[in-house]
Amino acid sequence: MTSLFVKITGYVGDFFLDFEHEFNTSGITVLYGRNGSGKSTIISVLSGFINHLETKIVLNDKSIENTKIFPPHKRPFGTMFQNPILFEHMSVNQNLDYPIKRNKFLDQTLLSKEELIHYLELGSMLNRYPQNLSGGEKLRVALARTILKQSDYLLLDEPMSDLDIKTKARLLNFLKMINKKFKIPILYVSHSIEEISQIADEIILMKNGKKIISGSVVKILNSNSFQKLIGKFESSSVLEGTLIKTNQIMNMTTLDVNGQTLIVPGKPGLMDKIVRVRIRSRDIIVSPVKINTHITENELEGIITKIYTEKDTAFSELVIKLMKSKIKKTSQTLRARITTYNLNKMKIAENKKVFIYISSVSIDRQAYQY
Amino acid sequence: MDTFNFSSSDFNAVLITLKLALTTCFFLALIGTPLAYFLAFKSKRVKPFLESIVTLPLVLPPTVIGFYLIVFFSPDTALGKFFILLTGEQLIFSFYGLVLASIIYSLPFWVQPLQSSLEKIGYDTLKTSESLGASKFDTFINVIVPLSKKGFLTSFIISFAHTMGEFGIVLMVGGGIHGKTKVIAISIYDHVEQLSFGKAHFLAGGMLILSFIILLTLFYSNKRSMVKVK
Repeated sequence: MTSLFVKITGYVGDFFLDFEHEFNTSGITVLYGRNGSGKSTIISVLSGFINHLETKIVLNDKSIENTKIFPPHKRPFGTMFQNPILFEHMSVNQNLDYPIKRNKFLDQTLLSKEELIHYLELGSMLNRYPQNLSGGEKLRVALARTILKQSDYLLLDEPMSDLDIKTKARLLNFLKMINKKFKIPILYVSHSIEEISQIADEIILMKNGKKIISGSVVKILNSNSFQKLIGKFESSSVLEGTLIKTNQIMNMTTLDVNGQTLIVPGKPGLMDKIVRVRIRSRDIIVSPVKINTHITENELEGIITKIYTEKDTAFSELVIKLMKSKIKKTSQTLRARITTYNLNKMKIAENKKVFIYISSVSIDRQAYQY
Repeated sequence: MDTFNFSSSDFNAVLITLKLALTTCFFLALIGTPLAYFLAFKSKRVKPFLESIVTLPLVLPPTVIGFYLIVFFSPDTALGKFFILLTGEQLIFSFYGLVLASIIYSLPFWVQPLQSSLEKIGYDTLKTSESLGASKFDTFINVIVPLSKKGFLTSFIISFAHTMGEFGIVLMVGGGIHGKTKVIAISIYDHVEQLSFGKAHFLAGGMLILSFIILLTLFYSNKRSMVKVK
């Protein structure tokens, strides 16, 4: 089991970085924040390329922050930087061999080169040179090369910002698989909500060089800090459900969300027993009475716990606890955005029971499907 | 009027010139390469300062450089004394004085092409290599050198050609001594002064053809590597 503690303080250019975190030891941790929030600096410090900050890095009870004793090439991290670079004078195969040749403690029983070539479908390009590869192909090679270093911890700095949705979803599933099957913890830097709601086990929220909050995906994505960071328009909730059944003909999946069913389009990835979906607050219809038609696929029940009415806009935000009866202890929270005009008309108030209607069309497919 | 001919003293001048150009390039590789690496990847604050110093020989009149080198090489200075102690000879008017002077005035011709070639490779390539477990030296040998072959070739050819062609500084520092510091450029000058145009033609024409071949090789190889990248 890997343990990692990181503490970094100091000025980077003109902003002050103040970061401290005890990392999740086995899963995928996502470092989320806007551009310039200090995410990439943390990656650079960990991989040993920035050494003027006050730093403490403890990996498996061993301090490794000193760049004299642990220069970049002796760091136990496998780093993939933004816009990954392949060595132009080497073929894909030679690129893959680069870290293998330099690892004295290579463990052949761990993930092998052949396995990775298979998983990432690199077989047909082994003898080609980087100049003749597409952006997505280059990224797959770079990813395989980084993994082949067999490091204790993978650091991936916004690796998929330039990819199309399909390729992205496939690679995210691949990373989840690598993480689970080969037990390599991953630190994943991102500023895409879709990416993190699919891949993360834990999220660290960064703003202006500081860690604001960290915790489980559902906790962070539904937190006020996160909603503030992404803005009202993107305001959303993440629900976790367990897979009940898949309708192959209709291409729909039914989830169980704490005793209520949620029908979403498409099929989840093979690895997923728990499926996360993101629902935008403005896509939710709330009604104080049951609407007895098939107006949408989903009808959920809940209790309003809080109403925020915005003074200078037309909108109100409702925080709803999803529960059918008050007996159920565990419940998840949903945010809905409606006009204050309609709120007053419907006479909805805090602690009142409401029915929630969500069209499956508006549920984020990227969050789980490929 | 004499005809085209090639005296033994001219032959000596050719040998000295080639020896000077090769020795200078050897030392430039040792000194100029780390300097280009430093300028491309390491220096941030001192970069403009260092670049100005390295480029200085390019803009200064050769006589200015020659003058300061004479002052600097004189037996009264620490360097001059040290050289006498080492070899029993004066540094000034010696072959090694010429080499030292050539290293200085050809330095920008080695550093600049190499530096721009290294900058094109980029710091991210270095970071990638090191993060994959390669030390700085390993990275230099297995990534930087192969990727900047063209830069090295350009640096070598231009420095070689420039060292062969320099006249003013070589005359001032070396004094044009037969069989010792008299290079082709000075021989041509002497021939012209003595109105032996035939001898001058022979050497000057040789230089012209050689320089053209050198440049042709350079541009041809550049064109080929550009086609390959496309």
